Amino acid sequence: MNKPLEAAREPAVEIRFGQVGLAQVRIRTTDAGAILDELTGRVAAAPHFFERTAVCLDLSALEKEPSTSDMRDVFDAVRRAGMLTVGLAHGTAAVDALARTLEVPVLTQFRVQGKASPVPTVKEPAPPPKAPAPPPEPAVLHTPSLMQHQPVRSGQQVYARHSDLVVTSTVGAGAEVIADGCVHIYGTLRGRAVAGARGEVTARVFCQEFHAELISIAGVFRVFETLPPELAGKPVQAWLDGDDLRFARIGG
Amino acid sequence: MAEIIVVTSGKGGVGKTTTSASVACGLARRGKKVAVIDFDIGLRNLDLIMGCERRVVYDFVNVIQGDCTLKQALIKDKRIDSLFVLAASQTRDKEALSMEGVRKVFDELIADGFEYIICDSPAGIEKGAHLAMYYADRAIVVVNPEVSSVRDSDRILGLLSSKTQKAEKGDGKVQEHLLLTRYSPRRVATGEMMSVGDVKEILGLDVIGVIPESPDVLSASNAGTPVILNEQSDVSKAYEDSVARLLGDTLPLRFLDEPKKGFLARMFGG
Repeated sequence: MNKPLEAAREPAVEIRFGQVGLAQVRIRTTDAGAILDELTGRVAAAPHFFERTAVCLDLSALEKEPSTSDMRDVFDAVRRAGMLTVGLAHGTAAVDALARTLEVPVLTQFRVQGKASPVPTVKEPAPPPKAPAPPPEPAVLHTPSLMQHQPVRSGQQVYARHSDLVVTSTVGAGAEVIADGCVHIYGTLRGRAVAGARGEVTARVFCQEFHAELISIAGVFRVFETLPPELAGKPVQAWLDGDDLRFARIGG
Repeated sequence: MAEIIVVTSGKGGVGKTTTSASVACGLARRGKKVAVIDFDIGLRNLDLIMGCERRVVYDFVNVIQGDCTLKQALIKDKRIDSLFVLAASQTRDKEALSMEGVRKVFDELIADGFEYIICDSPAGIEKGAHLAMYYADRAIVVVNPEVSSVRDSDRILGLLSSKTQKAEKGDGKVQEHLLLTRYSPRRVATGEMMSVGDVKEILGLDVIGVIPESPDVLSASNAGTPVILNEQSDVSKAYEDSVARLLGDTLPLRFLDEPKKGFLARMFGG
C-alpha cells in the first residue's frame, strides 16, 4: 500500500533492499553423502572464503523433483560442509512449493541456469501449425500497478509490492520510489528509484525528467553525483544489461 | 467556520514568525477575529515580533496545564482590536504540549468566536512542529529560494499529507500554500538564488506570495511591529497581497523584478 513511512520516533526496524553475496550451488544429485564429500573438498581449498557462506540451491539440474526429506538431507549436508542454505533458486512451481514447506525463500535474482525457462509454470509444447490459436491466457494474474498521483515528497517512501509503480507526479529529492516490477514516473525524478526490488532483472525505470539521485535495478545501483549532461532533465529509461546498468533517452 | 492555519517550513530562520505575525495582522485588519499562537515552546519569539513581550503573564503551556484560563493568557493587541496573541512558554520544553491540550485550546478559541487561528510552528519536524500542524485546515509553507530550504519544505509537505488529522482520518486534505520570503530579484538574476518558477516547479505547489528581501523586516522586528504595518515598505505590500490571496483574491505577483532605474539614473550611471 501507499503508506509513507514517516515516524515521529525511531522505527524498530529498517528495511533495505540491496545486493548480498550468495554462493549459488547447483546440485545434480540429492545424495547427501556425495554432496557433503564434494563440498567439504571445495571448502577445504578455501576455508575462509566458504566458512558460513550463504548458499542458494539451484535444483534445475536434478533428474526428478526432490522430496522434502531429500531436501532436508541436502540442507544438512551443506551445513555440515560449513555453509548455510538460505534459499532456493527460482524455478518451477514445484520448487516454489518445496521452498514453502522448507520455510526458505525463493530467490529470483538467481536465474535457474541452463535449460529451464525462467517461469515455466505451464508446459507448452511447440504449437502445431494449425488454425490460429486463441490468444494465450496469461498464466499468472498480475497485480495491478500501484498508482501514485500525489507528489512523493522528501523523506517519503512508496513501495509497489509485486507490481509496477506508476507515479503521475514528481519524486522529490530525498524521496524513494520502489517497485518489485518497473517504476514509471511521468514527472520529474529527483530522488531515488528502485525497480526489481526482489531481483527481477528485466525491470526498468522510466522517467519524464531525469534528475535522479540513485537508480537501482535488481540490486545493481548507481548514484549520480554528477548527472550525465546528455541525460539531465531528459526523458530517460534505465535497464539492466547483464551486471551493467544502462541509461538512454526515450523518444529521441 | 473557524480556520486553523499553520505557518511552517522545516528549516529555521526562513521567516515563519515574521509571516505569522504579518498574516495575523493582515487578517485582523480586515475585521477577522484572529488568534496567533506561538508553538515554539522554550524559544518564544512571536511576542517580541508582535511587541507584547512585556505583557506576557500566562502562556500556552499554562493554559494547557490548567494554571489559568484561556482568557487570562490571550494578549490583546494594542493596534488591532480583533487580534490576540498566545505566547509560548520560555521556561518549559515541547514535551509540555499535548495533542488533547492543543485541541482543547482550539475548541475553546473556536467557541469564543475566533475566525482564524494562526499557529506559528517551530523549526524542525519534532513534536512541536507536529502539534502545530496536526489540526491544521491550511498550511503556509514558508520557503527561502535556496536548496536546503526547498528540500526541508518538501519534507514538511510530505508530513502535511501524512501526519495531520485530516490525513490520518482521510478527512480531506490540508490546503497547502507556498510563501517565498527573502526573495532577492537581483540575486535571482545573477543565478545565486532560485527563481519563483524553480521553487514552484520543484515543490509542485502554487505560490501565495513572494516577499522581497528587505532591511525593513529586521527593523520591524526590532521595533516589535509586524512588518505588514509598515505601509511604506514593499514587504508590507507583498504580505497584504498574500493575505488577500489567502482569502481567495487573485492578484498578480509583485516585486519579482529588480526595481528599474529611472531615466536619469540610467543616463548618469547612478
